[in-house]
Order: sequence, then structure tokens, then C-alpha cells
Amino acid sequence: MKNPYNPIQAEIIKIEKLSSVNKLFTLRIKDEKTRNTFKFRHGQFFILSVPGFGEAPLGFCSSPTIKETFQVSVDKKGTLTSKLFELKKGTNVGIRGPYGNGFDRKKIKSRNLVLIAGGCGLSPLRTIIQDANLHPENFQNIQIFYGCRNSELLVFKKDYDKWSKNIEINLTVDTPDKTWKNSVGVVTNLLTSDKIKKDSVAILVGPPVMYKFVIQKLLELGLDEEDIYVSLERRMHCGIGICQHCALVGGKYVCTNGPVFSYAEIKDTPEGI
Amino acid sequence: MNDKQLQNFVSYLIENKHTVYSHTEDDEKIKIKKINSGKNFKLCPKRPLYSFKKFFLPSCQKMMVFKDGNTTLNKSPNVKIVLLGLHFYDLKAFTLINQVYRKDPHFQKKLRNAIVIGQSPIPAELEDYQKFEKEVLEHLKFDIFLEAKSHGKQESFRIFTGSEDGQRLLDDFGYKDYENIEYVGPIPKKGLGPINSMLIEKVKKSRGSKIWKELDKKCTNCGKCSIVCPTCFCFKIEDKIKKDEIVRTREWDSCFYEEFSQIAGGHKFLDTTEKRIYNWYDHKFVRIPEEYTMPGCVSCGRCTEVCPAGIDIRKVLKRIIREN
Repeated sequence: MKNPYNPIQAEIIKIEKLSSVNKLFTLRIKDEKTRNTFKFRHGQFFILSVPGFGEAPLGFCSSPTIKETFQVSVDKKGTLTSKLFELKKGTNVGIRGPYGNGFDRKKIKSRNLVLIAGGCGLSPLRTIIQDANLHPENFQNIQIFYGCRNSELLVFKKDYDKWSKNIEINLTVDTPDKTWKNSVGVVTNLLTSDKIKKDSVAILVGPPVMYKFVIQKLLELGLDEEDIYVSLERRMHCGIGICQHCALVGGKYVCTNGPVFSYAEIKDTPEGI
Repeated sequence: MNDKQLQNFVSYLIENKHTVYSHTEDDEKIKIKKINSGKNFKLCPKRPLYSFKKFFLPSCQKMMVFKDGNTTLNKSPNVKIVLLGLHFYDLKAFTLINQVYRKDPHFQKKLRNAIVIGQSPIPAELEDYQKFEKEVLEHLKFDIFLEAKSHGKQESFRIFTGSEDGQRLLDDFGYKDYENIEYVGPIPKKGLGPINSMLIEKVKKSRGSKIWKELDKKCTNCGKCSIVCPTCFCFKIEDKIKKDEIVRTREWDSCFYEEFSQIAGGHKFLDTTEKRIYNWYDHKFVRIPEEYTMPGCVSCGRCTEVCPAGIDIRKVLKRIIREN
């Protein structure tokens, strides 16, 4: 019987600072055979562990089409992520997964996408963005709406020029500094009828407070409930639908039924959004 | 099988390197204890306060050890245990947990090394043997089942087996008068049945209603109910730093504890007692029945017995049914 809790070893081969609170880790699975068979989809997550510091669920943030390595961008927030920030290149960490449903496989390639992110929420969406940047022929029109408290907190800043070749990027911050040339205010303000096509598919990743307002706005703009997706963050211990930490009242597990849900699926779930 | 034969059977198990556990009454407390001798052994008809779940899901279990850069998966020794005298409700809970943990290697290993022996008189409403076998026994996981029949002072048992392990043990002991029951899976043909199906809807409907606000004031979040509950199976995975090694453990957790839903950064999704107690009922009466087609509560009454705030699950359910 396969032991689902047994982590496989992956080496940190590169660490880049994305903001004062966020680092991008490039990981490479040690065992060649495991590495060659390891596959994940856009929007899925895995459980990373460091002995002595426990485990935590983290979203993939690189294109699934990139083999050999994958990336994860991490905010320094809890016990494990604080430890991760101390680790050096060459250190091994444990990983298990991939877990979760990921973004709707058909829709992300066949429909116009509106990707709406807050804070480090851009990271899971980068699975799509990077893929679309490398293989534009597989995707339709993509728009990014990304908001942060201040410009220092924006992640993947270096990539925006590259992405903007085939992707529309809209940025906003709450408190701009003197050099800021983009919008100011909440991300909801950027979503207007001249920008958003009714038949788009919207994917939201960010803090829960953002979801409420953005969903309301998207519904007003005429998007279908089935075409508005959110990725939920919950405490998780097993990742396989047993431990109950990520259960949503009413019967869904964020680890196995999610983390991606359409608004239609969870609008009646208390505390879902 | 009579009393004497049962005692001989227990002695036989002990002699053949099985560690036998059963519950006994001691100073008005019913505790599960190791049985050291079959002599004078008598099945206890009362309910032990703690259930048998700890034998399959220990309160803290080693999963793996990290030492000097190496990871060793925990290989616990193969100790053959016999759990003797589980009542109906505990067999039902065992059947459910067995279903939830059917792909869990730690649980399955414990299961392979355990013999589960149930006991019960036939409930009055199921006097008809055929009905009893079809509707109850076929859907319960056990190795041997002792159906108690009282003849005045003398007790005797009708013996059923539910597995090859159970049959082999009885054969080797030299007792042939048993009937084998084929386990056909945990779900009876009629599915959940009308009462449990009704409860799903009623509990869902009750969300946000007055009763949960009242329970919010009463419940102390002590988590005792989830510790004694035979179907509470939540856990947390944690690393414990020992002298020269790190042990990754799986430990019982309780959804009544505040940290249960807390994410990095401090946000708690179940941030009030009302939400937490509703979540507990949601798990027992909505999530488990919908996911496993089995009731998540086996009506043992342990939670009511231990609750320091006097919350009686039967009264809560009656109110939910009445008011929704």
C-alpha cells in the first residue's frame, strides 16, 4: 500500500527575492525516475515539509509544461515558510502531491481569461501566465488585474515586460510611492464594462475580502456564476480529504474538491467566500 | 458457546500470543484493559467511556523519523491484538472508520494485526434472525460476533464469524458451531434510511438558527466530546523534536480547538463557538452520511456523558427536527 504521507526529496536549486516578504524557490526532484513522472496542472498545490518545522500546502507557480524543475513563490507567514526563508540553495526539502483539482482544464485554453489577483495570489495564476507566455498558441486572450497594498509587494515584477507581449497587465496599489505610474485603489475599480467581456472566464486568487467585492462586480458585468472561479486557502494536514481541517460546511473539502471552486458551486457555502 | 467455553477461548488466545483487550467494570468506571487470564472472564454489558478507536488510530502515532539527514518510515512491530466485546455502536463506528481509512497504510497495518470480536443481544426490533443478519451483521466489520442469549443466570452465545481470520481462530481453538456472515460492504441496500436522510436536510436547514446561538453560550470548547466519540477521526500532523531525531507524528485533533481552522497569518475560519459546534454536527449528520452513506453518529451517548456544559446530543437533535 502506497504511503500518502511519505515525502519525496527535492533540492532547492535557486532562490530569488520577489519582494520584502516573498521569495521564489526553484525545486528539482532528486530521484530521476520520480522527476520524470512528476506532473501537475495549472492551479494545483503540493505539501512542502522541512523536518522539525512541519508541513504546509503551497501552490505551484511555474508552467506545468516546464519539466525538470518547478517553482513555488512563498510569503513569509508561518512556521514553515519562515524556516524556508532561512534555507540556502542546495538544501533538500520534502514534497508530496500534487493535490487538488486545479483550474478548469478546458476553459483556461478555450476561453478569454480575466485573471484577478491580490498580494501573493498572483503566484498560482502564474502557472497559466507563464504557460501562455511560452505557448501563446494554446491560449485565447488573457487579461491580468493585479492589486497590492504597495508596489514593493508586487511579485514577479521583472516578468511584466515579457508577459505584456501577449497579455494585458493592469496594476493597482493602495498606497503609491512617487514613482508609481499605474492605478491607485482596489482592484475592483479596474473592472469596467469596456475592459471585461461578458463571455470571459474570471479566476480570482487573493485574500477572502477581495473575493466578495470582485465577485459582486463581475456578476454586475454579466459574467456567469459558472465562469467565476476562486482558489481557496485553508488549513490542511493530510491533503487527501480525511483530516477535516479544510472542510467547508456542507460537504466539500478544499484539498480534494478544490482548491478551485466556481462561484456557482460555493455561493451557498457559509464562510466559503 | 457458553460462559466456560468463552473463558477457555480467551485463555487460548492469550496462550497463543495474542494481547487481549476488553472492557471491565472497576470502581463503577468502565475501562478497556488488558486481559491477563481467561479464568473468571465475563463480558461486560456496559459501555466503556473511551471507545476502541485508539487501537487503530492511536492518540499520537509515529509516522516517520528524520535522523542524520535520513528519513525512516515508522515500522511498528507486528503485535497481534484481540479487541473483545465491542458493542453494536462501536462496531458501527469501527466499520465507518475502516471505510474512511481504507487507503491508509498506518491504519491498515493495525487492522491486519487485530481481531475484532463484537458482542450484543439482538435488539428487540430485530427479533427475526434473517432480518438481523441481512440488515445488520452483513454490513458490520468484525472477525467474530457473540450474540448474547440469556437463560436465567447462565449466559450463552450464538457465534458468527465475519472473516477468515475469525474462522481460523475458532477452528484452531476447536469450536465449530459458528455461522459465517459474508461482509457485503458497509452500506445496507436501503442506503441511509429515512431517519438519517431526514437529519441531513434538517441539520442543513438549521444553520444560523437560534439553537446554535444558544449552544454558542453553553459549549466550553473543551473538546471532550470529540475525544470520547468513536467516530471522531480528525488529526493533525506535527513534527516533534527529540534529542537526536525529529519525529513526524499524526495526532488526534479536535475541531473545537481554535487553531483547528487557523491559517498562516492568523486567520481562523471557524472563529466562533457557534461555527465550531455547527461544524461538528455538520460532519456527523451531513458530511459523513453524504460521503460514506453511513450515519456519522452511532448513538453511543458518550458525548452527552462527558459534556461539562450538559449538552445532550439527543435533545439537540430532537430540537433540530422539531424546529426545522
